[in-house]
Amino acid sequence: MLKINDRGKYYRRLRIIKRIVSHLFLILVVIFAVFPIYYVLLTSLSPLQNLAQVSLKTLIPNPAYLTTSNYRTIIYNYPFLLWLKNTLIYSSSATLIGLLLAITSGLALSRFNIPLKRIILYMMLILSLFPFVIMVIPFYFMFAQLNLLNSYYGLIMAYSGGAVIFSSWLIKNYVDLIPKDYEEAAQLDGYTRTGALFRVLVPIARPVIIFALVISFMGPYTDYALAGQILTSPSMYTMAIGLYYVSQGTVSMNYGTYSAFSILMGIPIFLLFFAFQRYLVSGFSISMYK
Amino acid sequence: MSGKQKTENKAIVYLIPVLAVLAFLDFYPISYSIYMSFTNFNEFHFFNYSFIGIKNYINIIKSGFLWQLLEQNAIYAFGSVALMAPAGFIIAMVMNQKGLRGKSFYRTAILFPWAYPAFITILIWQGMLDYHFGIINEFLESIRLKPVYWLGTPETAMFSIIFVNLWLSFPYYTYVFTSALQSIPSELYEAAEMDGYGVFGKIRRIILPMMSRQIAFVVIFGFIFTWNNFYIPFLLTGGGPGYSTQILITWSYMEAFDYLQFGIAAAYAVISILFLLVVVIIANHYSKMMSILY
Repeated sequence: MLKINDRGKYYRRLRIIKRIVSHLFLILVVIFAVFPIYYVLLTSLSPLQNLAQVSLKTLIPNPAYLTTSNYRTIIYNYPFLLWLKNTLIYSSSATLIGLLLAITSGLALSRFNIPLKRIILYMMLILSLFPFVIMVIPFYFMFAQLNLLNSYYGLIMAYSGGAVIFSSWLIKNYVDLIPKDYEEAAQLDGYTRTGALFRVLVPIARPVIIFALVISFMGPYTDYALAGQILTSPSMYTMAIGLYYVSQGTVSMNYGTYSAFSILMGIPIFLLFFAFQRYLVSGFSISMYK
Repeated sequence: MSGKQKTENKAIVYLIPVLAVLAFLDFYPISYSIYMSFTNFNEFHFFNYSFIGIKNYINIIKSGFLWQLLEQNAIYAFGSVALMAPAGFIIAMVMNQKGLRGKSFYRTAILFPWAYPAFITILIWQGMLDYHFGIINEFLESIRLKPVYWLGTPETAMFSIIFVNLWLSFPYYTYVFTSALQSIPSELYEAAEMDGYGVFGKIRRIILPMMSRQIAFVVIFGFIFTWNNFYIPFLLTGGGPGYSTQILITWSYMEAFDYLQFGIAAAYAVISILFLLVVVIIANHYSKMMSILY
């Protein structure tokens, strides 16, 4: 009897040690993840103009020395709100268009026996190997001919294709896991096949659609390579270009403004990620049983 | 989903919008790039460039620089994936222990690197890795270690790039593996515990076999993405010191926008894609990961 009790204690102790080690490990991971962002936040609030001036000693700052002057510079001296508006117009329109295309093609690739399906899927894979950067030059000439340089339409169009392939795949894989009974039941209730697909499967596939939305939004929101070539007038700038423009000091890079700008630029995308956090886990699923 | 069903020709209608967009936004520009790689398109022949066959490719191969670029690109991509995927897997395993408190706190906190625009955080890392003023060297000095030229020598610069890539990517891998771990039925774990398997037994007997195809898919796509991931070498080291951290796609960008050699730039990009295609075909041969796509 005593012996069994001892073993129970031993296992309980082992479990407690395992828990403590796990928490320590995860806390280290969190510090690793958060530290650079904290560092920028601190720089943005400090009156000094140099990223390097934040040292080990000032990591826990004295509130008396913190200032919002960098933020005020950005809001009052630059058209920040205009750039924010531009970026949101480009990114959300492109995301919406891309997502509609991806939902249609994802559902069709999952549910219909489309001719040449395998070839289409392979072709999409090959196209996805090409990096976005090599399209900058062709896009530039295409848009110059179509008179779409420096316009909302041109950039929205270019971005809307960006994540279509990846999103289509994600949606197709997710819908593959949904039993066909759902849409068959809806068809018995009098829906057409198309109606049944869209009205029944889209709500069920919401996690993956939101996952695709977050991923697609991120691309145009942070793009610099393409926007930098296609947009020329400051009134059309996105935040990414604005950030570059603002942080060019007279002598060297102005880290104070840079940090404050990057904190402001991070907030919207942050809110998006946190609002949809639970879908980031449930949305990405690949069938295991095929 | 199986091949035995009758093909539905009308259903192609659903794909027409997406195929049209891909033709216009992917297929045409890509074909244009490939064509450019066979021309002498550069600053001197901006409006009257002509077809020169495979001359660009011959020059590239003769220059010998290609092999260096391929080697560096391979180290960058393999090194990154070899760190990121296991890191994501281990963190996901630790974070998903049954009954561990604070799961959602940890999961939210590690979102930061993923949810922050990468080109901003890469420049922040550049500041933190600075030899004279960077906080990392300051920390090393405070524990009486020698400061390191993180971005100043070829080896440490490549290491820094891979390390920053780890920081940027581990949340994504943690989330993906979390999702995969949660889709394994809990009865399997319980059965394994009854049989007396420990953590490693469970990993070897249940998790790895159940997740093998997902792992293959995630690793191969991680490799493709990293191979082409231009921002980290471009912003962190600018390809330096010397050319020691250039990869094919950053070099292609430099040829185009610094030297205005558009034809040669396109040829480098095409070589990069061809290499990637070979890797994907070989990987698919061994892992059958493409079957996930059907």
